[in-house]
Amino acid sequence: MQLEKKLAEGAFVVLAEMEPPKGVEVAGLVSQAMAVRGKVDAFVVPEMSSAVMRLSSLGVSLLLASRGLETVMQVCCRDRNRLALQADLLAAGALGIPNVMGVAGDDITFGDHHTAKAVDDLTLEELLQGMNTLMTGRDLAGIELKGAPRFFVGSTVNPGAAHLEAELAALDRKLAAGARFFITPPIFSVEVLDAFRKRAGGRPMYLLTTVLLLKSVGMARYIQRHLGQIQVPEALVSRIQKAPERVRECVQIAAELVKAFKDRGVSGVVISTLGWEDRLPAILSAAGI
Amino acid sequence: MIRAVGKPLEEVIGMVQDYPRILVAGCDGCVTVCEAGGLKEVKVLAAALRLYFTQQGEPKQIDETSLTRQCDKEYLAQLGDRIDGYDAVLSLACGCGVQFLADMYTTKPVYPGVDTTFLGVTEERGVYTERCQACGRCILADTGGVCPIARCSKRMLNGPCGGSDKGKCEVNPEMPCGWQLIYERLKALGQLDRFEQPITPKDWTTSRDGGVRKIVREDLRV
Repeated sequence: MQLEKKLAEGAFVVLAEMEPPKGVEVAGLVSQAMAVRGKVDAFVVPEMSSAVMRLSSLGVSLLLASRGLETVMQVCCRDRNRLALQADLLAAGALGIPNVMGVAGDDITFGDHHTAKAVDDLTLEELLQGMNTLMTGRDLAGIELKGAPRFFVGSTVNPGAAHLEAELAALDRKLAAGARFFITPPIFSVEVLDAFRKRAGGRPMYLLTTVLLLKSVGMARYIQRHLGQIQVPEALVSRIQKAPERVRECVQIAAELVKAFKDRGVSGVVISTLGWEDRLPAILSAAGI
Repeated sequence: MIRAVGKPLEEVIGMVQDYPRILVAGCDGCVTVCEAGGLKEVKVLAAALRLYFTQQGEPKQIDETSLTRQCDKEYLAQLGDRIDGYDAVLSLACGCGVQFLADMYTTKPVYPGVDTTFLGVTEERGVYTERCQACGRCILADTGGVCPIARCSKRMLNGPCGGSDKGKCEVNPEMPCGWQLIYERLKALGQLDRFEQPITPKDWTTSRDGGVRKIVREDLRV
């Protein structure tokens, strides 16, 4: 509620990613979220990112909601058919999750259960459309619901996509399907953002750029080598290499990116710390937030 | 063998109506056996299309042919010297043939004239039933030669589900329960102990997910 309202008012929003644990130990996650309460507008809860089995986004979203924290629940096409997707969305709607974002999901083979069978019953666009259909009071079979949920619907867009034409066409399909906010994969340079906005400008959307906290040179090199859709500038890697205190430098880089994106006028940022959520306050503070 | 059924005539007309010269190309392989896309069906479909377009006052050139197979390049190549004489090809091969034809003649529109349906057997003439879903890792040795993936409507690997009645499936009372068949077969073979051994969650990496599957037989390559 707060997220949609702030975006509508044109305020810069700060979201933090909260990766659910692989297990039921949630005390650390809750305390880390509570530590930045008031500084973060909402917590984005990934749904088994990289196809690694974890506690569900619905579960962690409800957990954080029970502590009065606003969340963005991810809903993924890969693991559920249209019945399960709608059932979980109704649960989210009934239990006070105001924001949902549809994602296609990484391929099963990238994860830790690579022999599993993917579902992919609905495409991402169909899922987004389905979220809006539920809001009209009907399900995907056209049957009337006893109470319609109300969601602020979002999805993903990749400014660093190798084929920007195709990415923009997909963006337009997602917009047509009812998505209103878009979260990017990690971006490490304003140039990537500028080039994208030059092409995508004018579309009625809230763009939230993800700032990923690099933890080491090795992590940066891994992204460079294996995640072709995310570009890490070499200058950034050597800056970490030369730094006397590398972790502090990584925090500083993340903070600078947050500030740079804010200065560029994007709607907000999502800060992803991948287990280093305890560094969130330092990033926000260094970014002047 | 691959089983297919002819598409409804209206659907075929919708696909090819804008082309003045059409080649209807059958396949002498699987689709001939199930009488969906062989030379006989090519002739029937071509005649129906000619009749329709003539009645509409838009007569077209609709020619007929059938290739030994459309899933092998050497047979597709036989169209090379005549394909430029057509504006579109209506292939009655399975989905493999349609695509391989389009791969070879990249600027020629190729349309499917049949719906490729399943890998199955001939119960009797004109009655075909599914037997295999080509999951890529055969488990028939564990299930008495009856595939639960193809023949159980829930694709259960540790059935039965408990919903069958008098050996018929709860989803469709005309369909035999796959797990009843497995039980009876194992009993007849004296292998009922296999029924007691749970099958572990299946490795689906060889099945549909993860893109195009490929077989490379180094011993056959030239």
